Amino acid sequence: MFTYLVRRLIYVLPVAVGVSIICFLLVHIAPGDPLTAIMPVDATAEEQAAMRSAYGLDKPLPVQYAIWIGKAAMGDLGKSIATGRPVADEVFTAVRNSLLLAFSASVIAFPIGLFLGFLAGYFRDTIFDRLVTAIAITGVSVPNYWLGIVLVIIFSVQLGWLPSMGAGPGGSGEWTWDYAHVRHLILPAVTLAVVPIGIVARTVRALVGDIFSMDFVQALYAKGLRHGDVLRHVVRNAAPTALSVMGLQLGYLLGGSILIETVFNWPGSGFLLSNAIFQRDLPLLQGTILILSLFFVGMNLIVDVAQAAIDPRIKRS
Amino acid sequence: MALKRLKGAALAALSVAVLASGSVQGWAAGTLRVGMTAADIPLTTGQTDQGGEGMRFMGYTVYDSLIEWDLTSADKASVLIPGLATEWSVDPDDQTKWTLKIREGVTFHDGSPFTAQDAVWNFEKLLNPDSEQYDPRQSAQGKSRIPAVASYKALDDYTLEITTTTPDATLPYQLAWILMSSKANWEAKGKNWEEVAKDPSGTGPWKLTGFVPRERAELVPNTAYWDETRIPKLDKMILMPLPEPNARTAALLSGQVDWIEAPAPDTIPALTGNGFEVVSNAYPHNWTWHLSRLDDSPWNDIRVRKAANLAIDREGLKQLLGGLAVPAKGFLPPSSQWFGNPTFDVKYDPEAAKALLAEAGYGPDKPLKVKALISPSGSGQMLPLPMNEYVQQSLAEVGIEVEFMVVEWNQMINLWRAGAADPSVDGSQSINFTYFIQDPFTGLIRHLSCDLIAPNGTNWGHYCDEEMQDLFNQIKTTFDPEAQDAVLRKTHEKFVNEALFLMVTHDVAPRAMSPKVDGFVQAQNWYQNFSGITIEE
Amino acid sequence: MSAATDTIAPDVPVTAAAGYWTGVLKRFSRDPVAITCALIVLLLILSAIFAPYLGLDDPYKSSMIKRLKPIGYPGFPLGTDEQGRDMLSRLIYGGRLTLFVGLVPVVLAFFIGSAFGLVAGYAGGRINALIMRTVDVFFAFPSVLLAIAISSALGAGIVNSLVSLTIVFIPPIARVAESATASVRALDYIDAARASGGGALTIIRVHIIGNVLGPIFVYATSLTSVCMILAAGLSFLGIGVRPPEPEWGLMLNTLRTAIYVNPWVAALPGLMIFITSLCLNLLSDGLRSAMNVKD
Repeated sequence: MFTYLVRRLIYVLPVAVGVSIICFLLVHIAPGDPLTAIMPVDATAEEQAAMRSAYGLDKPLPVQYAIWIGKAAMGDLGKSIATGRPVADEVFTAVRNSLLLAFSASVIAFPIGLFLGFLAGYFRDTIFDRLVTAIAITGVSVPNYWLGIVLVIIFSVQLGWLPSMGAGPGGSGEWTWDYAHVRHLILPAVTLAVVPIGIVARTVRALVGDIFSMDFVQALYAKGLRHGDVLRHVVRNAAPTALSVMGLQLGYLLGGSILIETVFNWPGSGFLLSNAIFQRDLPLLQGTILILSLFFVGMNLIVDVAQAAIDPRIKRS
Repeated sequence: MALKRLKGAALAALSVAVLASGSVQGWAAGTLRVGMTAADIPLTTGQTDQGGEGMRFMGYTVYDSLIEWDLTSADKASVLIPGLATEWSVDPDDQTKWTLKIREGVTFHDGSPFTAQDAVWNFEKLLNPDSEQYDPRQSAQGKSRIPAVASYKALDDYTLEITTTTPDATLPYQLAWILMSSKANWEAKGKNWEEVAKDPSGTGPWKLTGFVPRERAELVPNTAYWDETRIPKLDKMILMPLPEPNARTAALLSGQVDWIEAPAPDTIPALTGNGFEVVSNAYPHNWTWHLSRLDDSPWNDIRVRKAANLAIDREGLKQLLGGLAVPAKGFLPPSSQWFGNPTFDVKYDPEAAKALLAEAGYGPDKPLKVKALISPSGSGQMLPLPMNEYVQQSLAEVGIEVEFMVVEWNQMINLWRAGAADPSVDGSQSINFTYFIQDPFTGLIRHLSCDLIAPNGTNWGHYCDEEMQDLFNQIKTTFDPEAQDAVLRKTHEKFVNEALFLMVTHDVAPRAMSPKVDGFVQAQNWYQNFSGITIEE
Repeated sequence: MSAATDTIAPDVPVTAAAGYWTGVLKRFSRDPVAITCALIVLLLILSAIFAPYLGLDDPYKSSMIKRLKPIGYPGFPLGTDEQGRDMLSRLIYGGRLTLFVGLVPVVLAFFIGSAFGLVAGYAGGRINALIMRTVDVFFAFPSVLLAIAISSALGAGIVNSLVSLTIVFIPPIARVAESATASVRALDYIDAARASGGGALTIIRVHIIGNVLGPIFVYATSLTSVCMILAAGLSFLGIGVRPPEPEWGLMLNTLRTAIYVNPWVAALPGLMIFITSLCLNLLSDGLRSAMNVKD
């Protein structure tokens, strides 16, 4: 187990470096001058040149990368061109808000997905199974950004029950777990939960269904085990895969919430990212992508290690 | 059906919102919450970013300039008035030397007094990279606004002298851009602009009491403001960046904000149907096609230019914009003090347009083909795609075939800076750009002056005309304001009579607000006065 | 929407056996849901291909006086959009681009990813390490994030959307292909083929492709709906297809403000994305069970 952990950690390093190079390249090959968004439209060429060198954008790319990654390793992601604020602060605040949203969506999605999936797998090929399959496939098929807009129309504009945007009456700076804040969370979290409900339900249904059809379950019954005990075995067998799917989903929720955050004006990493894209704010853009993808790499690592820990059958090379 | 339901829903929304927040946080009486179109809170340290909206909400609220725009009237075009300077005059013997009297008894929010030395300190902040207080961020926003300023010095606490590079009667308009931040506050914050940004200090009618980047800024009245008529009546004003038009509308309808900037035209029936007010007014903005005047451009023929201007049904376009537009009659809005009496009537007359084109040698068998640069979005561009398609269709009807080159807004800015002769514009003979045309320089001179031909300046089309240049020089050397206005009118008449642009429409800066909001007078300006506003609870 | 990229390598059925495909066909034809979906997808594809011959209005022709007309307005069975263009026509023409941008990247990624996976899985060793570690780096990004990052780097446009989505879907397909190939390669009969002097290419062509393409294909079909939703999402964000092209995601975006005027018309493009992606998913499920491929 320990050697597995070490090997997995060593393997993560080159991936992380590769990820950082891709982040950097993607951001820098893009056309468009990062300074246009912040300079008045009639700024002179000299003024632009002065600004460019102030941000180190006049240096060769490999040098820029080396400077950036060197500082990033020390926790300094540079300063946003558009706001002048440290990128690390901006990303930290935004990722915290996104995590809040992602966790809330998970709290909604995972129990529902597990429950539906398990029942469908257990009652396989019944009407109930078909119903769950239909729900699950609807969940993964619906474009959630569209669903978000529809929910805003219904619950914010028509019914007036829930706010349409933002992260609380005082902004995310003062998040607290009271209703005035939580009501801002409801619509985006529910919208974001729809896809993982579908995925988790589908995965668990397949897992549980397969396990029930395996010989060892019949063997357990044959050995005279009670129904509850058999179920425990089934759950134990399904757990590692189910956990890994859920872990990855959490990572996807964080990295993939950009559309939902845009629809709901949720001040998270996706919202930050879309701002950074349209302002061509290079330091912010590369910093946000880097942190999100490293978070995802980390999630993958945790999932793998956790899976190996609970499922000793896994012997990976 | 949807609308009726919406109305009841909005009321329910308001009551729910009131109940919910009343029980938890409770608004102070008279809090105005504004949804801005900017994606972020504008720069708070003094010279703002985020364009006209930045100046509107974070510039003239927290800060003052030496000379300001009169924002009290909705009926007439706004003019310059004294700000932190009470009077200004140019030396009759040396027309590069200006003397400004600084207003006495003005203090910054931190309590320190405003003097002529502070004005000098602020110029240094923008113009002198060697000064300790030089701020590249503010400089990037402010330096290009005061090209005339060569030097400045404080003759005493309340007398400021500014020298210009050449005689330039537009200096007062330039100075209206420059916002004065507090030196004492900067020193108290360890001479660090980033710290100043969190707790800035100006002399303006509002004080910034806190902000969450990208989410909100809170302003409270400066009860010690020097102009008592402009001490805000509200208890608090909260600014929220809501760049997505639909999010702004939903926020207003669900009672999360009381006021939104630039509601999308299509949402306006829903807003007014639910009792929200939509206010708008003409202001110095235009939406044009800037034309290339390079040798091979078809726009060099005045008949072609006039034909294009006569081909567009601007009333139809106004309908597309939900009535929120002023059809162009010239380059400046018809209500401008500099509009004058042009002889060319900018109107819809497709027959006359066809005749002019035929005269110029174009016809059904030899259509005129032009290429135009457009962008699907962009600050102040209104609804660029539908509008450009409308223009394209109108021009096609008289025989001008338009091919679009569609580029991202940021790239568009670069192509606009590069000018019509640059290979990157790929032979485009027109560019759809909206202009801030509030003062003589931004309104007229910068677009057509020979010494500002792109890429060295903002004359995208490489237009250069002796007579025009002479008029521009007269504007700069006519120091009597009334005589200067007369020259400006004459200049604008030439803009229109020679159809130097494809003049399409002017925006009217719509804003939608809850019926609780009272006392707002929308000036014919990019900036607005928020001091008279009250809000019913 | 990010589901499919983490699917575990499917078990490899022995597909080379004679009569396998007749079986597949038989099983598939007994699945009414899959058949219905196949028909709907076929209909969408056909109407997209033959859109110009359906006698529809010009999808680009706008009219200021006929803006945002409701469903059922005379002459416009599905109403008009914010520029007075015929919604029916735009939805059908929109299917063209949406399906094109939604399906082509998966097809391209299927070929490229399978090639990488086959080579890596068959060759093993250093070549495997080189290919698969590179794939891993791209795989380390959540798919939505990667698509957005690449699209924003390349700028809006149809070709750029195709490129970015193809890059997004190569790594998961390559992974599935690699593990399927590796497991087939370990089977005895491949060793036998090598022992009898078969060249690598021949072995891949004759013995491996037939056995691994099935599961990769099924896996790829499950990506189509993800890809389509993602492609429309890019357009929705403004970094995909450019206006004024009819494309469902872009239509959804430009019609957003019309939702207060004419919510039903504004909802149509989203509904089309939903229905199409639902059918693609159900079709993929049907294929999966017909071909006996396990998740």
